[in-house]
Amino acid sequence: MASVRLERIAKRFDAGGTPAVDGVSLEIADGEFTVIVGPSGCGKTTVLRMIAGLEGPTAGRIFIDGTDVTDLPPRERDIAMVFQNYALYPHLSVRENIGFGLRMRRVDPVDIARRVDRIAESLEIGVLLDRRPAQLSGGQRQRVALARAIVREPAVFLFDEPLSNLDAQVRAQTRGELVRLHRRLGTTMIYVTHDQVEAMTMAQRVAVMHKGRVEQFAPPLDVYRAPSTLFVASFLGSPTINRFAGRVLPDGTSQRFDGGVRLRVEAPLAEVATLAVRPEHLNLVAPTEGSAGEVTLVEPLGPETILHVRLTGGEQATLRLGAGTTPAVGDTVGVSVRATEALVYDARGRLMGRGVA
Amino acid sequence: MTHAQSLARRWAIAACMVWGVATAVAVNRPLERVEYALAAHEARAVARAMVDSSGRRPSPIRRLVAEGSLTRAGVELSRYLGRAVRGLEESDRVVVHRSWLKRAVSVPLKDRDEWEIVGVVALQAEPWRDLPVTLLAIAFAVLVAATLASRGVDRLAEDPAIALYSVLVGPVATLAVVMAALTALVRQRVEAAAASLPPPSALSRFDGLTLPLPSATLSALTLALIFAATAAALVVAGWAASARRHAAERRETLTAWAFLAPSALHLLVFTAGPLAFTLFISFHDWDLLRLDRPFVGFGNYAELVADPLFWRAVGNTAVYALYVPVSMGLALGAALILNQPLRGMHALRAIVFLPTVVSYVAIAIVWQWMFNADFGLLNVLLRAVHLPGVDWLGNPKTALVALMIVSAWVQLGYQMVIYLAGLQGIPAHLIEAATLDGASPWARLRHITLPLLRPVTTYLFVTGIIWSFQVFTLVYVMTEGGPVHATDVLVYRIYQNAWEFRRMGYASAMSWILFAILLALTLLQWRALNRTVDDAA
Repeated sequence: MASVRLERIAKRFDAGGTPAVDGVSLEIADGEFTVIVGPSGCGKTTVLRMIAGLEGPTAGRIFIDGTDVTDLPPRERDIAMVFQNYALYPHLSVRENIGFGLRMRRVDPVDIARRVDRIAESLEIGVLLDRRPAQLSGGQRQRVALARAIVREPAVFLFDEPLSNLDAQVRAQTRGELVRLHRRLGTTMIYVTHDQVEAMTMAQRVAVMHKGRVEQFAPPLDVYRAPSTLFVASFLGSPTINRFAGRVLPDGTSQRFDGGVRLRVEAPLAEVATLAVRPEHLNLVAPTEGSAGEVTLVEPLGPETILHVRLTGGEQATLRLGAGTTPAVGDTVGVSVRATEALVYDARGRLMGRGVA
Repeated sequence: MTHAQSLARRWAIAACMVWGVATAVAVNRPLERVEYALAAHEARAVARAMVDSSGRRPSPIRRLVAEGSLTRAGVELSRYLGRAVRGLEESDRVVVHRSWLKRAVSVPLKDRDEWEIVGVVALQAEPWRDLPVTLLAIAFAVLVAATLASRGVDRLAEDPAIALYSVLVGPVATLAVVMAALTALVRQRVEAAAASLPPPSALSRFDGLTLPLPSATLSALTLALIFAATAAALVVAGWAASARRHAAERRETLTAWAFLAPSALHLLVFTAGPLAFTLFISFHDWDLLRLDRPFVGFGNYAELVADPLFWRAVGNTAVYALYVPVSMGLALGAALILNQPLRGMHALRAIVFLPTVVSYVAIAIVWQWMFNADFGLLNVLLRAVHLPGVDWLGNPKTALVALMIVSAWVQLGYQMVIYLAGLQGIPAHLIEAATLDGASPWARLRHITLPLLRPVTTYLFVTGIIWSFQVFTLVYVMTEGGPVHATDVLVYRIYQNAWEFRRMGYASAMSWILFAILLALTLLQWRALNRTVDDAA
C-alpha cells in the first residue's frame, strides 16, 4: 500500500537529444488505479520504467510512500511489473515462474508453495502449474505474469501494455478482470497503454502524455468532456473530435466564434482559434437551419451511424447519429452544433472557453 | 473390370515382358564390358610387373594398357618382347581374342631378370555361360514386375497419377532384382577366373613377379553402380511421368533439386564417396606401393583392438579433449565481461577472437618458442618469480598439457564470440523481470542467464569435443606424437600408419573407429540440443 509521487522527472537517452520524458510530475494516491496513455514514443513506458527502477531519471525525484527511491535499486522498491510480452522465464515451469520472486527473497519453500497455489487458484491457472510458458496460450501467459506480480504482494503494481498481445475478445474480458482485481486488492496500480478504451474503462484517473509531457491528469470522463488541450481532445474519442479553424470576434456584449461553423462562445477574443466538437454533439438539421454541407460517406455501425459531411466552406464534419433514417451519400444536409458542448482552444491548443446557448 | 481396363492390363504385362528381355540384353552388355575391363586390368598388372618391376623405367606398353587400347598394347608388348628375347613363339605374345560371345586376353610372363618368358596368363570371359541362372532370374523379375504393373492398372481408375507410378515402378523393381542376382553371378565368375591363374608357388623361382588377384568385389561394385544409376534414372523418369498432373509440384521439386544439386553433388563426391572407399580399404591389407592388396576382412580391426599404441592414442585424445570445458569456462567469463556496454569492448573482442583466424601451423611454431625450455617466454616468466623452468614439450608429463594450453588459447576467442551471441540473444526483459523479482546479479546469472545459455553451452561443448578428437596440426608441428608417445593422438596415429608405415588398410580401420566415436558424439549432441530447444521453446 503506497502512494507514488513523481517530481519533475526527466529522461534524456543521449546528451543533447530530445528528452524522452520532459519534466513529468504526478501524484498518485494510495490504492489508486492510474492509467498513463499516449501515442507511441510519448515517453509513457519510460516513465513506468523509471518508477520501476529499470531506468534512472536524468533529473527529478521519485517517491514511493513518501520515501525517496530515486537512487534505490528495483529490488528495494517493493514494486511488481507485468511486461508487455509477459517476460516469463522460458526454462521454468509456471509454478517456478510465479515463485521466482519469493525464492529470490528467500521465503520458506513451504510458504512459497502455499502462496503460489493460492494465487493460481484465484486466477484459475491451477491446472497449468507444471507447464512451461511455451505450452500456454497468450491469455494464460498473461495470467501467469499477473500471478507472478501478485504473489509478492507489492506496494505498487506496474503494467506495461499487458493486454496489447491478446486478441480482442480475451482483451475485453481481461480488462474487466483487472478492474475487479484492483478492487479486491486495493493496491496502487499504474497502467501504461496506448489504447484509449483501456484508459477510459479502467482508470480512476488518466494521465495523457504527449512528447514527454503530461498534458492532463484527471478522471476519464473529465478528460473526455473537458480536454485541457487540443491534443488530448483529438487523442481520446473515436471518431476523432471535429475541429473547425476560425477566430473569436466580439458580438455585442459577448463573443462569437467565426469559421466553418458559427456560434456564440464565452472566450477571450482571438485571431486564431479552434472550435472542437465531439461527433455526438453535432446535430442533423434542415440545410437552411445550420451550416449546409454534402454527405460524403455513411458508416452504419448498427446501434449508431457515422456520417461524414463536407461543409460548404470545405471543412469536414463527422456526426454520430442514433439508429433511424439517415441521409444518403450526396444528400445536402444541415449541421448544427450543440453549443454548450463546444470547446474553444487558443492558437497553442489550450482550452480557453466554451460555447453558450 | 471394364474392357479398357483389361486391355490396359494386357498392355502393361506385355510391356513388362519386353522390358525383361531388354533388361537381359542390357545386363549382358555390361557383363561383357566388366569382363573385358577385368582382362584389361589383368593385362595391365602383368605388363607392369614384367616391364617395370623396378618402378623406374616408364613403359610405353603400360601407358597403352592404361589408355585402354589392349590391341595396340598387345602389339607393342610383343614387339618389345620380340626385341628382348630372340626366338619367341607367336603364342607367347599378348593377344586379345574376340568373338561374338567371347572376350579373352593372354599375356606372357617373364622371369625376374626380364630375360626369359616362363609362362602365359590367359583370361576368358564367357557371358552366357550361366544362361539358365540368368534366365531364371530375369523370369522371376518379369513375374514380379508384371504383377506390380497389373495392380497399378487396377488402381488406374482411383488415382491415375499414383497408378501410373506403380506401373513404372514394376520394371524398376525387375531391374533391381536382376541386378542383385547377376552381381552375385559376376562375382562368382570373376573368382573362378582368379582361381585359374597359376598358383603363387609356380612362380617361386621368379619372385620378382607378383601377380595381383583380380578384384571380384570391385567388378561387382562397378556393375552394381551401373544398375543403381539406371534404376535411379528410371525412378526419376517414373516420377516425372506420374507427376504430370501436378506440373507446379514437379516444377517445385525440380527447382529444389537444382538448388540442392551443387552441395548434394559435393557431398556425394567428396564426403560419401571417400567414406565408402575408406570402409572398403579398411578390409584390405593396402599398401600404396604394392600391387596386391589382399582382402583381410576384419583383420585390421582385430589388430587394432590388440594394439597398445592405438589405445594409448585413444587415451591421449580423451585427456586432450578435457581442455574444452576449461576453455569454455574462460570463454563464458570473457563473454560476460566483454558484453558490458563500455568503450573499447569491440576492440577487445576482436583481439580475443584473433587467434581463431590465425593458421594453426603459425600458432604451433610460435608456441613452440613460447614453450622452449631455455629461451621460452613461459620459462623466463617462471624463473623471474624464482620457480624452476619446465621442459614443456620435452617432458612426457607436460607435453600433452602444453598442447591443451595452446588449444584452449586458440578456441577461447571462438567460444567467446558464440557465447556473446548467445548472451545478446537473451531478451533484455527477462533480465529486467528477474531484477524486479529481486534477483541479485549473481542470482540472475545462475537462474536466468546460464539456463538460457544452455543450448549454446551444449553446442560449444559437443562441437568442441568433436574438434578436439580431430586434433592433428598442433601435434604434427610441435611434438610429432612424442616424447615417447605422450602426445600420440588418434589422427596423428592414423597419419603415421597411412603415410609413414604405408598401412592404408590399418589406418582406414582406425579412421572408421574415429568416425564411429564422432558419430556417437554428434548423435548425443542432436539429442541434447533437441532437448534444450524443447525447453526454451
